Amino acid sequence: MLALERVTARYGAVTALRDVSLTVGVGEFVCLIGANGAGKSTTLKAISGLVPAAAGRIRFDGYDIHGLAPQEILKRGIAHCPEGRRVFPYMTVDENLAMGAYVRRDVAGVAADLERVFTHFPILAERRRQPAGTLSGGEQQMLAIGRALMARPRLILFDEPSLGLAPTVVETVFAIIAGIQREGTTVLMVEQNAYVALQLASRAYVMETGRIVLEGPARALADDEHVKRAYLGG
Amino acid sequence: MLGATYSLLGIGLTLVFGLMNVVNFAHGEFYTLGAYATFAALVLGSVNFFLAIPIAIVVGAAAGALCDRVLLRPLRGASIDTVMLVMIGVWIAMQNAELLGWGGVAKNIPTPLPTQPLTAGPVSVAPLRLFVFVVSGLLILGAHLVLAKTKLGRAMRATFQDRETAALMGVSIDRIHTITFAFGAGLAAAAGALLGPVFLLYPSMGDLASLKAFSVVILGGLGNFAGAALGGLVLGIAEELGAGYISSGYRDAVGFIIIVVVLLLRPAGLFARAERVG
Repeated sequence: MLALERVTARYGAVTALRDVSLTVGVGEFVCLIGANGAGKSTTLKAISGLVPAAAGRIRFDGYDIHGLAPQEILKRGIAHCPEGRRVFPYMTVDENLAMGAYVRRDVAGVAADLERVFTHFPILAERRRQPAGTLSGGEQQMLAIGRALMARPRLILFDEPSLGLAPTVVETVFAIIAGIQREGTTVLMVEQNAYVALQLASRAYVMETGRIVLEGPARALADDEHVKRAYLGG
Repeated sequence: MLGATYSLLGIGLTLVFGLMNVVNFAHGEFYTLGAYATFAALVLGSVNFFLAIPIAIVVGAAAGALCDRVLLRPLRGASIDTVMLVMIGVWIAMQNAELLGWGGVAKNIPTPLPTQPLTAGPVSVAPLRLFVFVVSGLLILGAHLVLAKTKLGRAMRATFQDRETAALMGVSIDRIHTITFAFGAGLAAAAGALLGPVFLLYPSMGDLASLKAFSVVILGGLGNFAGAALGGLVLGIAEELGAGYISSGYRDAVGFIIIVVVLLLRPAGLFARAERVG
């Protein structure tokens, strides 16, 4: 479904990604783990078109999407749920969800998806007219996920969905993401909480200083000595 | 009565600042452009007065869109000071182009409205001023509805709040910038088209308009739409009262004295809510 081939990206003189290659198959749950600054978020931004890749190829459904504007990539079916939730704080819950469906023209489909989001997240239905900035962290994360779903994507990129959330809320958020994948949406997730990420995903990649250093089935990586030492605390 | 046009001017300026982080020193020139476009359509094109106003708005918006595409798009991400200097250049260039094109002799826009004042009890008002007030009010309402209720307005606000995430939602940031600048310029041109018939037209008329627009924005708080709308009315009323009770020579001074007082006492603006954090 998605394939990155030797992608390199730079911020000015700093090289953030070096020769990153990864694939995500239809229906898969793939996670990308690694320390702060390893290039995980940049990888997602390169896929969604926010950071232009300096070299390499990014293919989605066999088509080269490298160099396309973010809205073109979104229209092809890739939604990006950014790090730190990034809801529009002065807009209401309803307006945030409407922004998620910004590129869609099918009014009936959008209305149906809105209902679906409210069924998944009843708390959002209760707060429809409330500015998103007044929601709790967990509620904002649910709104960010709901907003990404409103684009009716085939692939969702999640960037650190557990960041800054209370432990009980983290559990709920991961359960929601697992549910989205079970319903047929492909998931590529960046997560610092390697322990949980490796339990949820089927396959995983490990990034260090802009490169992919390890890849394999999530279970095998969870048993890997290097991964255990560096990311699982033992 | 003329305060509503100050609101129009202030809203255009505050939108461009809030959304694009551009301090538009050429704002008053779009006002002048609107006034001259009305004059051109009316006197040279012999178009109806009521049709000349929308034409002027379109001309102003088109000039704004052009200015954004040609001058501002290459400067996206440049420092606010660089853009400010470019806008000062635009201001000087536009003003001198107007001087070149129209000459320095003041011009007058004739209107079909009666000059006999309308009286209701002790209050009397010139029909033209009433017309200016009503149309300004409708334009402010229209601008508000576009921002608050339409998909375009939502995209504009989203871009304002978080540019990168708005791009992720599929908003074309460049397009929103051009539309916003055109929107601001169109509102300034509308103010020019409306006030043109009240005063006289001359190439440097935009300078005072720019000053008023900045005053309104300072009164209302930077980037604050409702603040700019109310700020314009406050400034207009203060000037009228100042002119009436002190001396009409002090009309403009009263406005600026209020600005100084507001900046001393409430630097975030009269209608600012809590400071924005994060």
